[in-house]
Amino acid sequence: MRVLVLFAHPVETSFAAALHQGVVRGLKTAGHEVDDCDLYAEGFEPRLSRQERLAYHDLACNRDPVASYVERLEAARGLVIVTPVWNFGHPAILKGFFDRVFLPGVSFKMRDGRVVPNLRFIQKLAVATTYGGSRLRAVLVGDPPRKIACRVLRGLIKPGASVGYHALYDMNRASDDQRTAFLGRVERAMEAF
Amino acid sequence: MRVLVVCSHPCPESYNAAVCTAVVESLKSSGHEVKVLDLYATGFEPAMSADERRGYHDRGSNEAPVAVHLEHLSWCNMLVFVYPTWWFGLPAMLKGWLDRVWVPHVTFEMPTATTPMRPKMQHIEKIAVVTTCGATWFISKMMGEPGRKTILRGIRALCAPRCKTLYLAHYQMDSSTPQSRAAYLAKVKQRVGKF
Repeated sequence: MRVLVLFAHPVETSFAAALHQGVVRGLKTAGHEVDDCDLYAEGFEPRLSRQERLAYHDLACNRDPVASYVERLEAARGLVIVTPVWNFGHPAILKGFFDRVFLPGVSFKMRDGRVVPNLRFIQKLAVATTYGGSRLRAVLVGDPPRKIACRVLRGLIKPGASVGYHALYDMNRASDDQRTAFLGRVERAMEAF
Repeated sequence: MRVLVVCSHPCPESYNAAVCTAVVESLKSSGHEVKVLDLYATGFEPAMSADERRGYHDRGSNEAPVAVHLEHLSWCNMLVFVYPTWWFGLPAMLKGWLDRVWVPHVTFEMPTATTPMRPKMQHIEKIAVVTTCGATWFISKMMGEPGRKTILRGIRALCAPRCKTLYLAHYQMDSSTPQSRAAYLAKVKQRVGKF
């Protein structure tokens, strides 16, 4: 299966970067064709511009500014997101990917004023992520990034598709053993993706 | 009060910009001191750079890239966010402002082995969110309103313990009418003015 990996951390030596490497390794071991999209390395622009906003609903040209990303999304049958959680949300560069690439005619269609999901060809979704806050704090805040994955994105892809959410909480206080165990767990999950 | 209004829409001619103007007018006529931070107009860069991330935990120097913004934050005791809800969350521009400006040691202290995270923006006593949503109220609730929670729970936890919150939204923007938009502007003026 062709899998688009979206990675959103700027530092090459970070734990998130190690997680990203493990994810790609695991997916390749499983025999998947991996399209590895490192948003920082590719210099992705997260800001939806005025021109993009004005042409947002114009299906003839709304994808032009991000055509290559739309093609990569449309070629994928699986989607894996590797990201830290910052301030109980996704980093701006990842949020910008949703803002700019998940366009009308791409990830959804408008029919009689209603939104119709349009990423039904994505059969599997997984997220590997790290939180600074504890699991309890995340629950108290309502865990916005988990809701984006398990409700918003799930609603766009194939109905009943499997969604894996792999999270390491309280990561600033996690021991080396806990971090290593998490890396192993995620890599094994990708081998079974 | 001293109010920092943070707005985040790319089009100055948009309805969202009109909402922001209504918020500012309403705050001023209620006697508040107001500063407006228009993230698109000022060309804010939302992606935290590798250097910033490497220096994120360095007390003092982590303030340098966003010093002006931190001055705004320490000046205000009320925050109002005006933005369009995109994909049930904040525009990347606004999320990036939270990512880059709300740095440790200034806005909060990191948890240690023995102490939990400690908030340091306790002079902020009120936070309001004024937004527009493409979705209906019901779908927004079903999705769990991630954007609302990021600000009114996540960011609020760094502010005063009894920080008051206000959330206003115009739902179903794509099928809005001149009447519904005018009614929302009037509601925004009234509610924000009294907040």
